[in-house]
Amino acid sequence: METWEFLAAPFAAGLILTGIHAYLGLHVVERGVIFVDLALAQIAALGTVVGFLAGTELHGGGAYWWSLGFTFVGAGLFSLTRMRRSRIPHEAIIGIVYAVSAAASIAAMSRAPEGAEHLKDMLVGNILVVSWGEVGRTALLYGVVGLFHWVFRKQFLMISVDAERARREGLSVRLWDFLFYVSFGVVVTSSVAIAGVLLVFSYLIVPSVCGMLFAERVGPRLILGWSMGAGVSAAGVLLSYALDLPTGAAIVCTFGGALLIAAGVKIVLSGKS
Amino acid sequence: MKRVVTLFILLSLWAAAPAEAKLKVVTTTEDLTALAREVGGDRIEVSSIAKGYQDPHFVEAKPSYLLRLRGADLLIAVGLELEVGWLPALVQQSRNPRLLGKGSGYLDASTGCDILERRAGPVSRAEGDVHPFGNPHYWLDPDNGGVMAANIAGRLSELSPADAPYFRSRLEAFQKRLAEAARSWEDRMRPHRGVKVVTYHNSWPNFARRFGLEVVGFVEPRPGVPPSPSHTLKLIQAMKAQGVRVILVEPYFDPQTPNAVSREAGAKVVVLCPSVGGAEGVKDYFRLFEHNIALLEAVFRETGGAQ
Repeated sequence: METWEFLAAPFAAGLILTGIHAYLGLHVVERGVIFVDLALAQIAALGTVVGFLAGTELHGGGAYWWSLGFTFVGAGLFSLTRMRRSRIPHEAIIGIVYAVSAAASIAAMSRAPEGAEHLKDMLVGNILVVSWGEVGRTALLYGVVGLFHWVFRKQFLMISVDAERARREGLSVRLWDFLFYVSFGVVVTSSVAIAGVLLVFSYLIVPSVCGMLFAERVGPRLILGWSMGAGVSAAGVLLSYALDLPTGAAIVCTFGGALLIAAGVKIVLSGKS
Repeated sequence: MKRVVTLFILLSLWAAAPAEAKLKVVTTTEDLTALAREVGGDRIEVSSIAKGYQDPHFVEAKPSYLLRLRGADLLIAVGLELEVGWLPALVQQSRNPRLLGKGSGYLDASTGCDILERRAGPVSRAEGDVHPFGNPHYWLDPDNGGVMAANIAGRLSELSPADAPYFRSRLEAFQKRLAEAARSWEDRMRPHRGVKVVTYHNSWPNFARRFGLEVVGFVEPRPGVPPSPSHTLKLIQAMKAQGVRVILVEPYFDPQTPNAVSREAGAKVVVLCPSVGGAEGVKDYFRLFEHNIALLEAVFRETGGAQ
């Protein structure tokens, strides 16, 4: 069936996004830095814009290195601004970084041709027209990042869940924070190019929130998150086909619906016990 | 039992299939659909990807677009990079060999048309969303409409040689009707020749040249770049100095800035229809011009026309 041929690549992309984001989402929700992906994606977009004004092509290899460089700067910024005892919540700084880099991109792009068009391009992405080549490259990259996180899972989990204990045990929280945000930035930059900010945000937060509803430990939460993400990817892609809606938006709405159902189940379950 | 069912399905398919399969045509805009319908008549099945009320620079991909492109015998595009932001990825993903690599199933309707603002040298990045191959809104001159219809008829005849005489006679009839209509449109616009107008986007150079309007400025500081305060102030001053009383806006742009400018400059905002399907009742290529010219006549009467 030719229909499946078209829906297979977006679905595969959805599975890959689920794989890495449901995991990173656990960290992000645990740290309470929900909007860090939006901020990093926006910094990456700003990097592309600055590179573009400096003379590189928008969709070429040069643009990627510009965005990656800016992502590293952002990662440094976020690891430096995480204070032990501060009255200013980390989320506030992330919000400021997001707003300023978004505004800087808009201002810079107004000096460039096809301004709005390309800015939209960078942050919207289009999961429906993702190619198998992109899916393969992304799977490889996320595999490497995932492996890195699995090898150092003890350190990464400790700095996210219990930073005080990590300090007592002599871990350099700043260093591991920086490594976390760098790997996170690498993932988000690629994901946003494929799927856009809205969809990446949903893949990051919704599965981990769903996992938290039903489980305490990391393992079960991950398994729940992965199952939910995979199920929603399939349902969202099918819904987009059945109702002929833009695929990314259809998946995000499916995430919302699925979380509502999960919350309903939770209420019923806790009412019984 | 299974065999009986298969046989039944095959029979019903055979019965449902028309004697001659129609050519499946997909166009990027409704203007091209309208023109294809004029020459293709009942020998083709045609539908458009972008709706007339949508900005053809931006189109959000949906699964049905891929399915339609997959099955298409012919894809007709406006060309000149109007669809560059979304069409290439869709065509690539449709995996339709007829359309890929600009094969026999891909037609750029602009060939042979009178294209304005073509750039010889490289386009500087500071100039905004400039299309180096020329202004892609060329269908708004009826002469170009005739050329586009001829391009479409030519390609349809190549794809279905048996129907070539049919397409030829429909093309000739269409071009004759169009020439007559164009004369009457010109007659109606003649009293307003030389009227100065401001437009939102640079969508109207072909239309303006054909019907004698003078476009003296744009609400956008540069094509594709949203209005900025200094440009808006300069525009208001220029409009006052030159006595511009009319701002033409495309339906998909935010009317806030043009409304503010028109208040300041004492002008009227008119939402013109840049494409077939962009306004109620604009169902074919003729009604596209009828609609816009009627709107312009009304506003020029109200603002005093050429002064």
